[in-house]
This record gives sequence, C-alpha cells and structure tokens, in this order.
Amino acid sequence: MDQNLNALFDPENIAVIGASNNPLKAGYTVIQNLNQIGYPKKVFPVTPSEKEILGRDCYEKLSDIEERVELVVLATPAKLIYHIMEDLTVRFQTKNDVKVIVCIAADYGETRTEEGIRRQECLMDTAKKYGIRVVGPNCIGIIDNINRVDTTFVETLIPTEMRGRKGGISFISQSGAMAASILMMGASQPVPISMNKFISIGNMADVDFIDLLEYFEQDEDTKVIGMYLEGYPDGRKLIDTLARIVKKKPVVVLKVGRSSIGALAANSHTGSLAGADAVYEAAFRQYGITRVCTIEEMMDILQAFDAMHLPGGDRCFLLTQAGGPGIYCTDAFVEEKILEFPRITDNTKERLKDILPPMANICSPEGYADITAAATVEQHVESLRAVMEDDNVDSVILVTVVPTFLPRKELAEGFITLLKNKEYGSKKPVYICIMAGGYVWECRKLLEEQGIRTFTTPAHCVTAAGHMAEYHKFLKRQKGEKEHE
Amino acid sequence: MSRFLNEFDAKNLLAEYGVPMVKSRVAHTKEEAEKITDEIKFPAVMKVLSADIQHKTEAGCVFLGVEKDKANEIFDKICDNARTYAPEAVIDGILIQEMADSSLEVIVGMKKDPQFGPVLMVGLGGIYVEVFQDVSLRLLPIDRQEVQRMLEETRLYKIIKGARGTRYDEETLIDVLLSISKMSLEQPDIEEIDINPLFLYEEGKGAKGVDALIRM
Repeated sequence: MDQNLNALFDPENIAVIGASNNPLKAGYTVIQNLNQIGYPKKVFPVTPSEKEILGRDCYEKLSDIEERVELVVLATPAKLIYHIMEDLTVRFQTKNDVKVIVCIAADYGETRTEEGIRRQECLMDTAKKYGIRVVGPNCIGIIDNINRVDTTFVETLIPTEMRGRKGGISFISQSGAMAASILMMGASQPVPISMNKFISIGNMADVDFIDLLEYFEQDEDTKVIGMYLEGYPDGRKLIDTLARIVKKKPVVVLKVGRSSIGALAANSHTGSLAGADAVYEAAFRQYGITRVCTIEEMMDILQAFDAMHLPGGDRCFLLTQAGGPGIYCTDAFVEEKILEFPRITDNTKERLKDILPPMANICSPEGYADITAAATVEQHVESLRAVMEDDNVDSVILVTVVPTFLPRKELAEGFITLLKNKEYGSKKPVYICIMAGGYVWECRKLLEEQGIRTFTTPAHCVTAAGHMAEYHKFLKRQKGEKEHE
Repeated sequence: MSRFLNEFDAKNLLAEYGVPMVKSRVAHTKEEAEKITDEIKFPAVMKVLSADIQHKTEAGCVFLGVEKDKANEIFDKICDNARTYAPEAVIDGILIQEMADSSLEVIVGMKKDPQFGPVLMVGLGGIYVEVFQDVSLRLLPIDRQEVQRMLEETRLYKIIKGARGTRYDEETLIDVLLSISKMSLEQPDIEEIDINPLFLYEEGKGAKGVDALIRM
C-alpha cells in the first residue's frame, strides 16, 4: 500500500489553506466538516485575514505551523498557487512532513487555458520535488469515516451524531458534482449512507483510479467499491485492475457515455466495429464487473453488497402483500433475465396455507405468493420464515404496502427478530420493499438501523437481487475454473 | 497507412488458422482459368482480385453462377470492367470460387481498439448487420467458456439453438472464434478481420466463410 495514500485517509494533522469565516466559502465548510466528523487530530486553518475559524486558531502561512502537517487542503483561488508553492518550499527547508495535497480549488488544467495548465504544472512540479501526492485539482475532496477525515466542502446535513459511522463502501468519482449528489442522496436515505472512504479525483493530475483501486483492493474495511467513470486514458489497464479486484470484492461502475452505442455497432466492411462504450460494456460483462446505469441503482446495489450476504443461486421467491405491486415486481423480475422463480416443496406450500389467510394465493405462478392485504405482522414474518427455510429458495423479495391497519413499528420489529437471527438473515438475502413513501420512513429506519436493507420500489429490489445473483454466479465460475486448472 | 490483403490472401491466411473458407483459386490468364474449371465445382463465382477495388459489385467485377463454358468470356468481361472502373488499380488476377450452399448467415470479426487491443466480435450476419446490431464483443485473450458466454448474449444464439427447428453447428462457430482470436494475437500487424457472411450449417456439418476482409 502506498504510504502517502495512508496519509491521505489517516493524516497526522491537516492544514486548510484558504480557510474562511464566510459560511458560503469552501474554506469554511471544510473546517466545519472536519469539526462535525470529529477528526481526532489537529486542524490548522491557514489564512492571513482571520484570527480564528470555528474555534480553531488561524495561521498566516503554511510555513508558520510548528507542528507536523501531513495533509494540506488547498481551497484558495487558483491564481495564488505560485505563492503557496513558494511557501511550501520554505516549509520544506526545515520540515519534511507534508505527504498529500488535496486541491479542491478549480481553474487549473481542466480549463485547457495556458494559465490553467501553468498553475497545474506549478502545483505538480513542487509536489513531485518533495514526493507529495496530489488529489485533484478541481475535486470536492475526500472522506474517511473510519479515521474521521472530511476535507469536502459539501454540506450533506447528516446529523453530527450520525457522522463517522463505519461502512463498507468505498467510492471514487471522476465528477465532483456527481460525487456531491451521491453524498447528498446517500444522506437522504432512511439511515444516511456512511461510506468507508469517499474520494473525488477531479483532474487526476496525480492520484488516479488505478492508485485508489489498488488501495481499496488492499483495504480490509472496504467490502465493495463504487466508481463513477467517464473515461480513463488507459482503458485496458483499468479493466485489468478491475478484473483482478472483482475476484476478491465486488466493484460497481456507473460508466457514462452509453448513448453512442446505437450508432456504433458492427459494420461489415466500412465503419467501426464498436464504439468505445460497447467495448467497455463487453469488458464489464467479461470480467464480472457490475455496471449500473443510474445513481439510484448504484446506491441500491452498493448498499446491498455492503449489508447483505450473496445468494447461493438465482432462485428468488417473490412474497407480496398485494396483487398490483406483485405483478409490477414480476414484470421487472422477468425483464431482468437473471433471476428465476423457484419451485418450493409441497411441504412449504402446506405450511404457507396454514400460516396465511384463506384467500392467499400460494404459488400461482410458482415462486410467487400473494399473502393479501389481510396479512398480519405475524403472517408476514412467518410466511417469510417458511419460504426462507425452503432449500429451493436462494433469496426472497418481500413487497408490502402497509395498509393503515398494519402496525408499522411491529412489522419492522417482527422482521428484525427474524432476520437478526443467524439462522435466517446471514444465510439468504431478503430484499424488502415497504412501498409507502414517507408513511413508512420510520419503519424502514428501524430496519436499516439494524443493518437490514430496505428498497423504495419492487423494481429496486429486483435490480439489486439481479446484480447480487450475477456476482455470485461470476464468483462460482471463477472458483470452478480455478479448480479446473 | 492501412492496407487490405487481397481476398485470396485473406482467405488463405484464415484457412491456415483453421477457419473453413470456400474453396477458391486464382487465374492470371485465360489458360489458367481453363485449368481451374477442372478443380472447382461449377457453376462458380468469378470476381476480380484486387486490394484496390473494395466495391467489386459496383465495379461490375463479380459474377455469380458462372457456367463452365462461360468462364473464358467472363474472364475478359471482368478484366474490361475493372480497367474501366479503376484504371489505376493493381489487378492480382481473377478469383474463381465455389458457390457455397447458403445457410444461416453469421458475422465474425476482430477489430483493434486503440485502448483495449483486439476486440472479438460475433453476431447475426448478412447485409442487415447494421440494422439488427445483434453483436457481442469480448477482449482478448479468451477461452472456450467465455466464447460460449459471448455467443449466448446474442439473439443469433436462439436461432442456433433451434428457434426455427434446425439446430446449427455451435461448436464449429466457437472453433472459428477461437481461431480468429489466436490469429489476432499471433499476427499483431492485423488491424481488422471481418468474415461476413460465414454460412453456419446444421449441427455437425460445419461452416463456410464466403467473404473475408483483412486490414493490416
């Protein structure tokens, strides 16, 4: 593991150059985020115009800080870079401490202007001279919830007490805006998503996808890697790196630029065989990399990989409390083309008959049961238990719309009791959709707080279940081929 | 500058790698053409052999179903048409090739991607390749299992598996794809390979590549 990247995610003291007392400036939000996440070491705001920011004493220059500084956040206007790099040189005359610069300012190489490129060169030349790694420029920063570092200038409104929770998702974004949206949308879940490591890589002047993927590959706290990808100069190297990692942990990629695919398919004698995206798509399929097309799908599947166990196969039972949502879910299920409806045993069918109200539809079609709107909490829980105990079932989608006469809190508690029991929750994944918007928010929150994933619509369940089954199949194939060798 | 192999060389190179191609011979003179009429089953296809003429049909340089006794006459006609159509073109001879029995049309190919290197392709072939866009791609190297999965991604696969009653020779198609893959890796100068159509016959009866293009 790159030692300097360790300092990126777990630095000994942080200096924020361009810190500010103006809440509308990035230099303010960075300090605020570091305070809220509870960064345990020292933060030094650097600005000539303030004495104190959010309770922290300011320094006029980086070179004025006596103590060790491993991470520098650059939030100043880009035109000041020459001056700041001169001061960094002054610091290095007596100290040799800075390991990483996170440049959250923009107006560098990405502008493709002579001046922008010169600024980036100045930053990079100085950094290289002292062996400093650079993240950005033109990024929103990084978050490490385990080491409690947050150098971003994104306000997610996650309550302070929810900050710094441990999570298994590590995420890399090529776009700052997408990164910020993903953070904010993640914050708006019943229980806010708390990632392990989060990084916006901006211009990739130095630290790029491969560096971070390799770091996350080794990082034991990373259970699943997510990335938002627009393009990478060496696609083959990227794919080879991903292909190696997915054998150990899942990687989910939101790769944009799909639309050219239509125009660029095969052409017998004249045109191009395939557009770049079609080749990426082929590579993702070939090497077991999970590709998603929307942000929602990305979040769902990242959380599923993080929180749930992989299924042992494709057979997914659909348990629904109402006909319409059940049919809606079935359509999505069939279109997904990955999952199969299982045929449960006669014994399980008998059990369901005993458990459920008389008008319940049991296995017509096979692999499907409508427990009806009359189903009580106990009937929800016991029918789920019966289906999970059937050996022909690898996973379950449970859809319920929660009518007013079904107590929401008790429903959540019933599921929790069942799924927190090691015999159930850790054996087969259950994709729960409680589809009543804000009305069931608290109910979903209760489940999510126990680490039980819930989904917004039945279609979301199907997508997550499909990706999980697909990844399981890939791992099984890998294992088979390895044994074959 | 990229260049194309002439059709005869392209077919021979493919055949060397085990890709079944229609039998063809080259005649430089009418006398040679005469001799070839004994080696190749007539009626046959006759066309100009020139890497400089890509659109042979438009040039009036392709004749299908030529009878044995007309071979001489057609030989002259092709030479004349070629000279009129492209006076500068270098003509390597006249290609005389067997008429393959038509069957399920498949496209098989490889193209080098600037980032990913050789990319293998298979799909529904024929003249509507661009309309149906039923192709599947893979990076190289590739093994038999992965070729199988690649094939399963196409709609073509349903036809191969007997959607219309006849089941087609899947194993031969997989062999062809593996041959193209081997050839692409061993011959790094090749930029593009394109066989369309490759006639795929009933299960156990193989395949035959009819038109082939290799760009260096």
